[in-house]
Order: sequence, then C-alpha cells, then structure tokens
Amino acid sequence: MLELVNLGKMFGSFSAVNKISLRIERGQLFGFLGPNGAGKTTTIKMIAGLLSPSNGNIFINNIDVWKNPIESKMKIGYIPDQPFLYDKLSGREFLFFSGGLYNLSKNTIKDKINELISVMKIGSWIDKRTEEYSQGMRQRIVIASAFLHEPELILVDEPMIGLDPQSAFDVKKMFRDKVKSGTTIFMSTHSLNVVEEICTHVGIINRGNIIFHDNINALNELKLNRNNNLEDLFIQLTSDE
Amino acid sequence: MRQLFHILKFKLIAFIRLDYKITVINIFINAAGSLIYLAFAAGGFFFVQKLFHFLLVEIRVGLFLLHEFISMLLFIFFITVNLGNIIVSYSTLYKSSEVNYLLTRPIMPLKIFAIKFLDNFFYSSSTLIMILFSLLAGYVFYFKLSLGAFLILVINFVPFIVSAGSLGVIIMLGLIKLANRFGVKKIIYSLITAYILLIIFYFRTYSPKLLVDSVLNFYPYTAMKDDYLGELIQTLLQYLPNYWLSQSGYWMVRGDIYNSFYYFFLQMTICVTIFSMAMYLGHRWYFSTWLMNQIITSDLSFYRTERKQFFRLGINSFFNGQPEAIIKRDITIFIREPSQVIHSIILLFLIVVFLVSVSGIKFIGLGNIYLQTMIYIAIFLFNLLFITTLSLRFIFPLISLEGQTFWKVKSSPVSNTSLIKHKLLIPTLVIVVVSLTLSFFSNYKFGIVLTFFSMAATFSSAIAVMSINFGMGGLYANYREKNPVRLSSSQGASLSFLLNILFMLFLVIVLFQPLSKLFLSIMIKKPFEMNVFYWSLIPIYAVSIILSILFLKIAANSIRKDI
Repeated sequence: MLELVNLGKMFGSFSAVNKISLRIERGQLFGFLGPNGAGKTTTIKMIAGLLSPSNGNIFINNIDVWKNPIESKMKIGYIPDQPFLYDKLSGREFLFFSGGLYNLSKNTIKDKINELISVMKIGSWIDKRTEEYSQGMRQRIVIASAFLHEPELILVDEPMIGLDPQSAFDVKKMFRDKVKSGTTIFMSTHSLNVVEEICTHVGIINRGNIIFHDNINALNELKLNRNNNLEDLFIQLTSDE
Repeated sequence: MRQLFHILKFKLIAFIRLDYKITVINIFINAAGSLIYLAFAAGGFFFVQKLFHFLLVEIRVGLFLLHEFISMLLFIFFITVNLGNIIVSYSTLYKSSEVNYLLTRPIMPLKIFAIKFLDNFFYSSSTLIMILFSLLAGYVFYFKLSLGAFLILVINFVPFIVSAGSLGVIIMLGLIKLANRFGVKKIIYSLITAYILLIIFYFRTYSPKLLVDSVLNFYPYTAMKDDYLGELIQTLLQYLPNYWLSQSGYWMVRGDIYNSFYYFFLQMTICVTIFSMAMYLGHRWYFSTWLMNQIITSDLSFYRTERKQFFRLGINSFFNGQPEAIIKRDITIFIREPSQVIHSIILLFLIVVFLVSVSGIKFIGLGNIYLQTMIYIAIFLFNLLFITTLSLRFIFPLISLEGQTFWKVKSSPVSNTSLIKHKLLIPTLVIVVVSLTLSFFSNYKFGIVLTFFSMAATFSSAIAVMSINFGMGGLYANYREKNPVRLSSSQGASLSFLLNILFMLFLVIVLFQPLSKLFLSIMIKKPFEMNVFYWSLIPIYAVSIILSILFLKIAANSIRKDI
C-alpha cells in the first residue's frame, strides 16, 4: 500500500530524515513513534506532498507520489498536527470546499457530512465559523474532512491533541473501524497508550533513522523480554547514549 | 520608558533577522529588488525634472499653478495615507496576536499603543517615503536648491505623513467608540460616505480646470504666473497641511526663506498637536476600546445569520468540483473580510469618478501636439495605474492568502495549473472588464480605430500587470500574514509596483511617436495612416506575453515550494 524507499530530507546541512525505507500493507494501522524533532512530521509531510524529498521515493499502490501527485493524492486523507482552517468559513462550508477538491458530487458530500457530524459529534457547531471553534472542534472538522472522500490511506500527525476523552475515544473507534474495512492509517503520535491500544504495526524513528519496525506483537515481546513497559522501552531505544 | 525601549529593541532584532538565511535565491531576489528600487529612484528623479521642464518651459503653467497641482496631489496622498492607517491600525491595534500577548504582561496599554502605532506607520509608509525621497531630490535638483533646502523639505514631509497617520489612528479610536454605541455597519457606511463627500467637496471647491481658467483670465501674462496668487485659493483650503507643504516649497523656490519657514512651522505645529492628541487618546481610550472591540466582535458572530448567496459552498452552480470549491471559497472569504469589501467600494467609487471625468475630456485642437499626446498618454497611464492598484491590492495577496490552511489544497489532488487558473478567473474577469470600460470611455471620441487600438493595448497590458503582481505575490508569499492590506503594502508589493511602473515606461516609449504623429495630422488636417497603431501593438503584445508567461511561471514555482 505505502512504500518509502531511501527517503531523505535535508534542511541545509541538517538531515531531518535519513534515507529511511518502510513498507506498510493495506489494512494496517501503523503507529509512527519518535521523540520531538526525530523526523515524524517531516516524513508525513513528504508523503502528503507538502515537503519535497531530498532523496528517495514514496509509492502508494506503486504510484510514485512525487511523479504522479494528483493520482496519489486522490488516495490520501491528511490530518495535520496544526489544524489550520479558514477562519471565515463555517465547518460545513469547509467540508464542502474539501469535497470539491476531490471532485465529489454535492449529494455525496451532503450525505458524508451528515454521517460525519454524527460520528464526530460535531452537532450544531457545523454551521458556525471556524474562528469560533475550540482546538478540539477544529481537530474534529479536519478529521472529518480527511475521511470525506473515503481515502485508501490516512496520514495522521498527532491526532489526539486538543481532544477531550470522549472525542479521543470516538476517534480511536473510528480509526479501528476504518482499518477493519481495509483503510490504511499511518499515524504519528507521542501517545504510547494510543499505540498500544489501537496500532497493528509500529515504527520508531530517532534522529531521522528508523530504529524499530515490526508488528505490535513483536514490540510487546521485546517489552516482555526486557521486563519493561512501553514507556521505558521507548526511552531506552531513543536515548542519546 | 526603559520597558518601551526594551520591547522596541527586540522588535528591531526580530525585524533585522527576518531574512537572515543566506541562499542564492535570497541573494538574487534581494539584489534584483535593490536594482529595481535604484532604477525607480533614478527614474523618479529624472521624471520630475522632465515633467517640470515640460510644464514650466513647454506649456508655461508658471510656478504658482505648478505648486497648486502639487498641493492637489498631496491632498490625495494625505487621504491615502490616512485611510490606509485607519484600515491597517485596526488589525495591528485590535486584532494582532502580539497585542494579545503584550496585554497579558505588566505593560501599560499606552506603551503597547505607541509600539503598534510606530509598527503600523513604518510598515505601511516606508515605501512611500522612499518614493517621495527620490521625487523630492528631483524637485530640488531642477530648481537648483541647496542641500540645506533639500533637508528642510525632507523634514517638512515627515510631519506631513505623521499627521496623516496620527489622524487615522484617532479616527480609528473614535470609530470603535461610536461602533459600540451605534453599531458597526452604520459607522462604516458613514465613514465611507464622509470620505467620498470630502473628496467631492475638495475638488468642487478647488477644481484644477477652474483654477487654470482663473489664472489665465486674470493674469494672461506668462511672467505673472510665477507670482503668488493666493486670493484665488479658498480660505478654508489654506488651512490644510497639503497646502502648507506645497507653499513651503513654492517660497523656497522663490528664495523667500521667511515665508517657507512660516509654512514649515505650521506643518510642525499641526503634526505635534495631532500626534500628542493621538497619544493622549491612546492613553485614555486604547484599552477600553480594545475591550469594546472584543464585545463587538463576539456580538457580531453571535447574531450573525449567513444569507443564502448564490456563490455559497454547498449550493449547486454552473461550476462543479475543484473549480467550484476554489472559486466559491475565494469569493466567500473575500466578502467576509471587511477590509476587502471597503477597499473594493472605495476603488469602485474612484473608477466611476474617473470614468465620468475622462469621458468629458476634449483636447483636440489645443494647439500643442506634444501637450495633446501627453494628455492622451497620461489618461492611458491613469487607466493602467488603476489596473495596477486593483492588481496590487487584490491579486498580489492571492497566493499568500492561501495562508496556513494551504495544507488542505496542497495535500489534495489539485494541480498548480488548475489552482492558478481558478484563483485568477474571477479577478481577471473583473479587472479586464474595468480596464476595457475605462479604455472605451476615454477613447470613443477619437473614432473607432484609436478606440480599438487603445482597448487592445489596455487588454494586453492589463493581463501583463496582473501576471506581474500575481508572480511577485508568489515570490514574496507570506503565508502567516492574514491581512490583505498589510500584504499589499509589504516590501514585495512595493517592488511589484515598481515593476509595473517600469512596464508603463515601456508603453510610453512605444506610444509616444505614433500618437504625436496622429495629433499633428489632425492639427494640419492631413490624412493619417492608422495602420501605424497596429504595428505598435506588436511590441506591446510581445512584451506583455513574455512578462505574463514569465511571472505566471514564477507564481507556479513559488506554489511548488515546501510549506
């Protein structure tokens, strides 16, 4: 489904992502872990088409993301860490705008909006301008906009920021359901609990290099072998020493 | 005071470090920018001298009339700076996140007011000051004035601009108080009406045509036109800062330093008075009006009911999919941004005034073919200047206004070509219609050939001007800035404006010869081969096409950059 081949990104002389290679199959919920500045957001932005790679390739269903950007973006839904929205548009207008970008018909967008309002518990906020929204409500609208065109791959950067426990529960449930129905989710997060709870596969990045990549069972085994909880294991793996 | 300087010091450090990153592209952009600035400064310097020579030697308008014309231009300049400061000061004083931050610290609101006032003033007026500086140098050089005289004129100009800016901030403070009492919409409509009436009143009282007629009727001798004819000026107008500034120059040129200093003194006095008043009112009202604005804004959003406009997202329309999403989003955001709507109304009003004025101009038979050519070219350039203003104000910020929400479009299956095409569609239609209308009404009296030629030249020039502004807007894109007014008064916008002026200079060079031949043949009643005009269209179209392609490519490349 998603393949990163020798993917790298340099900012001047600083290597933010250092020729990483990953392969994520259809229906996996991939948790991308790493300390601050490890290269998680840079990697996600390169997949989403917001940062151009300095080297390597990204393939979605064997389509090169940077050679066929339009075709590959049709398959992606992106949820950024900073949910910037157009202040002057209402949530509903933003969703109509988002759907239009994927050439969805009006009726399809209307139906999807009604479905997402109830799943994401957006309620009457949908018709208020987004400048009045809380961080959590903005995040819900952004998540809803990513699912609007039923993408095959969801890229999520820190999905739980600003969400109250109920919303976080709803989002996790939604992700699990989507994965069951065959959607692939690539999720960067700091929350180890979330990874343990919902991810099927895990990758750990540190200083731009992948230091662990396997399924969640392998991570649990490693954890047991070292007599650690996930937090201790994560700190051990990513420590500077 | 120490706290104030502390904040200013760090703001200055932040400002200087803005372009710290040294890359080949940055060096190239800055070098190109400096070159354009230099070219424009030199152009302005020589242009003023040529123009003065033309007016004083060829047409012999005399020193008095020349300075009255300067006074009129200064009035427009004063109103522009004043209005600009009202609009920009609202966003800097009331909507800036920096103010929100500073207000949570132990800082007197007056200090915040003073900091933001300076911030606002220097940000929006620095380019204007630079342009004025070169024009002033041309003025001093033409009249062979001393360096001391130049410095006095420069010092004279600064309080003139400070007065306009301070008055703008005072009006802003008053507007918030009044809006709190009578409602925002009523106050905005009243303000627009007041400014329109002020401009109409000024030019009714002080019509350039009437003034010229009076001077020619009462003082037909050329030498007299240099004399001071103050009795022809309405008493009320003699109390305006623009009049004092032009008079200070007039007396300086005539060697009467005493009179020049008299007007300089008036200028300084009014500046100190208005500035002190702005600071006093800032001390009394700033924080209370800031709180009022929070209530007004929240009330507005609470009682807001969105009307069912035809371009609303979600309603079926002629367009579908991506074109619809991009076009409707841009229109919706545009009409919900008060500064965009207010500026559109003001510019529309100016266009109507200009249309009414130029459609009545009849100058064939004035005698001097160069004068006729100059008037014709001046009107043509005025059309283009309108298009430049519209483009700079509404097209230059288009890419930056994608803002931090650009992630949505960039991560969606939208090609750059499609994005550019749909972003430009509506503004292009509006500007092309306006430019062709302006061109038609300023030419229809010259017959079908010249009208067609002018419309064809205006069309290609309008497309070139729009492309330049769009491309430069991409090159200098600032996705963090949400305010379109600040974007269109930024350094990149100033450079874009200067490029437009250079393009206009090219048009003058191409148009001058065929037009002067036409007016000569009309005067001596000799047939004229109109095909000459079609030949001039070739370089105009060639350069316009090259510029359009080049700047649209620059825009496309800038969209491609990492965000």
